[in-house]
Amino acid sequence: MIYRTRENSSQSVADAVPHIADSVRAFAVARGDYYARVMIRIQSHAGFVATFNWGAAVFGPVWAAARGLWGLFSCFAVLELMALVQLSRGLFSDLGAVPRARADRLGENYERMLARVQAARDQGDETGADALARNAERLQAALEKALDQAQEAAAAGVELVIFGLFAFVLIKGIEGISANIAYEKHYSRWRADKRVRAGFQWTGAAVGAVFVAAVYSIALYGFTVAEPVAFIHTFPADKTHYQMLAAAIDRVFDQTATDFGVFFDGIARGIRFLLDGLEVVFVQTPWPVVMVVITIFAWRLAGPRVAIFTVAALAYIALLGFWEKAMETVSLLGAASFLCVAIGIPLGIWFARSERVYAVARPVLDLMQTLPSFVYLIPIIAFFGTGKPPGILASMVFGLPPIIRLTTLGLREVPKDVTEASRAFGATRWQTLTGVEMPLALPSIMTGINQTILMCLSLVVIAALIDAKGLGYDILAALQYAAKGQGILAGFAILFCAVVIDRLVQGGIKQKKGPR
Amino acid sequence: MSDIPIKLEGVWKIFGTRAEEAMAAVRSEGLSKNEVLARFGAVIGIADVSFDVHWGEIFCIMGLSGSGKSTLIRHINRLIEPTAGRVEVLGRDVTRLSEPELRAMRSQKIGMVFQHMALLPHRSVRDNVAYPLEIRGAPKGRRWEISQHVLSLVGLDGFEDRFPDEISGGMQQRVGLARALASDPDVLLMDEPFSALDPLIRRQLQDQFKALSEQLHKTTLFITHDLDEAIRLGTRIAIMKDGRIVQIGTPVDIVTNPADDYVRDFVRNISRLKLVFAHAIMEPLTSDSAEKFAQSPRVSQDSDLDHLVDVAITTPHPLVITNAEGKDIGVVSKDRLLRGIQGGK
Repeated sequence: MIYRTRENSSQSVADAVPHIADSVRAFAVARGDYYARVMIRIQSHAGFVATFNWGAAVFGPVWAAARGLWGLFSCFAVLELMALVQLSRGLFSDLGAVPRARADRLGENYERMLARVQAARDQGDETGADALARNAERLQAALEKALDQAQEAAAAGVELVIFGLFAFVLIKGIEGISANIAYEKHYSRWRADKRVRAGFQWTGAAVGAVFVAAVYSIALYGFTVAEPVAFIHTFPADKTHYQMLAAAIDRVFDQTATDFGVFFDGIARGIRFLLDGLEVVFVQTPWPVVMVVITIFAWRLAGPRVAIFTVAALAYIALLGFWEKAMETVSLLGAASFLCVAIGIPLGIWFARSERVYAVARPVLDLMQTLPSFVYLIPIIAFFGTGKPPGILASMVFGLPPIIRLTTLGLREVPKDVTEASRAFGATRWQTLTGVEMPLALPSIMTGINQTILMCLSLVVIAALIDAKGLGYDILAALQYAAKGQGILAGFAILFCAVVIDRLVQGGIKQKKGPR
Repeated sequence: MSDIPIKLEGVWKIFGTRAEEAMAAVRSEGLSKNEVLARFGAVIGIADVSFDVHWGEIFCIMGLSGSGKSTLIRHINRLIEPTAGRVEVLGRDVTRLSEPELRAMRSQKIGMVFQHMALLPHRSVRDNVAYPLEIRGAPKGRRWEISQHVLSLVGLDGFEDRFPDEISGGMQQRVGLARALASDPDVLLMDEPFSALDPLIRRQLQDQFKALSEQLHKTTLFITHDLDEAIRLGTRIAIMKDGRIVQIGTPVDIVTNPADDYVRDFVRNISRLKLVFAHAIMEPLTSDSAEKFAQSPRVSQDSDLDHLVDVAITTPHPLVITNAEGKDIGVVSKDRLLRGIQGGK
């Protein structure tokens, strides 16, 4: 009858499976017998088991801290604090204070008004006295209302006390019921991983108690005292630090901009050169030629359906007069993506080779993608001014991470035995890279290129902020003048650009993968 | 050309950042594997391995996983650098070769076949086989010609334009073999080439490889964890355990004369029918027995047990063993024959 699970079951199971009881005793240390009984009961039932741990209910978060359940500790502490705040607000804080102060003020005004009425009467100015008397009546009504409010607020204090008390008792109940269930889970973790804190820790209890005492008292003080010390509610920040730092950063930027002016100009000029070339192709070439070429590309790379879609998208852009701006955007995008790929792939190869370099680079890449773009627009403007090249640089900050990441990923996923085979047949590192690793990483790299292009496109509108023109400018203008129609039309133009480019690149990737 | 194509002398490989220190300590204090791990955090991969491989032989290295056999074979073409010792291939110390010399040796003198084929998935069978030639800068016409030739050697005519994932595992490994043969190397390194294949295909490839190696007269270092395979293919076998070589010998030596309990354990289940010969189990004839065995069939002393069984089932008499001159020298009773098959209990 080992697995009997009715009444008396906990005892019989405890006897039958003594090693569990022993191990729970070893785990719980203090009150080992109680926990052995409780946990065997919990473990012998499939569903929810109602047990009540008085220690946990009375001591709440401090119990959890002593038993090493720090997650439970914070839950208990927050819940209790919420109830206590309500309770103490009802008990100690003067809820009627604000309306009562108003009533007092109104009362004084009323007295004064009555005095003036009396004065007018004394002087025989009956009409004036009537007018003043009407004013006094209005004041009286307001006064009564304020007094009512003050009373109501004071009465609400009782409600708060009742609610707080009820909530507090409820939370204590929840603590008592949930404690053993949580502790059993803790025990199971401890069984598998002996680094988990077991037993009753006085230090944990002390830390928990100090923390609870500190947090409770500060919070209750802040909520109950009518006019607490200012720093309780506002962090005592020092404005001068902020200004000093900002000024120092300003100086660094200005200095760098003048010291390395030639260097930054050189970069801007290089980008300009690339962009000019692309603009000759896209903007200055007569539109029918560009359109036909793009359509043919779509057909060859992605098939007839994409080609038809491309024609429709291009027609939309052209008919609504976005052609030139769209081509400007495409040139911008082309330059940004080209630079991303040209810089990103070698970096990706480098990062794939060196774990240490990648460990340093990874947070930088994360930062590049998470930093709000307005933030890095500032240094870009500081160093490169406004216009298209800085716009391209801003897009690159956003567009570089995917190509770097996916190149690294692709190269790391090349099977080691294949590169080893290549070495075994006498290949140089370069031959292995170009003949084996890059071809095998190509699908991943192509995905990276695609993502990079779309990332760059997503920055086109923001780049327009620093005068990079293109379709983004139209959106920006529409935003400024709340021109809904214009904005939506230009938005669709950008969308179509993105979809066409995406389809073309995807088609290219599939073609690369297709035959192998 | 040197007399010995592959020669290892006191080769050690210790993995870990403090390998040099560990090596010195092992030399001076004779630390054990576990002591080295505890003191230097270093792992001994190969411990003092020496052997010679002769021209044209298939030298099998047999060991369980973790015994260091795959590490050892990578020393021959210096995919792994030894911590200490000397590795000589075709008369040259490979550890002293410069990068270009090493690459030249790898691409011209040593072919390698890998456990998991390690074919290039983006290249056709033909281009896989031609890869070593491409590395050497051979023109395309020559590459195609040679790859055609070696593919026909391994029986893969007509599969040149397939891709590796379009052919079976057995075929893939034949492509691997063809690739290793493409640059007509003197030395073949086979790193568990057949272990990933199913038993039937494995057997087929073993036979094919044996025939091919006799035909092409390559010197082969063959790694396996399967003693059956080692016995089937090996001219000689080296048994490895924990980075050391426990025993080197012909298959017959290994089976009939295991060096220690470890080897004995391995050979226990190996069929002795083709490995043990009449002279090893016979009782010498006494002078008066000539007439006693007049009825017995005569069998040469070089017959294997398999043949003795064939003869024994045709006669009720014991078998008489003769020497090269046809003179009676011994006798094998049926009891003795059965015990011989069992392994001489």
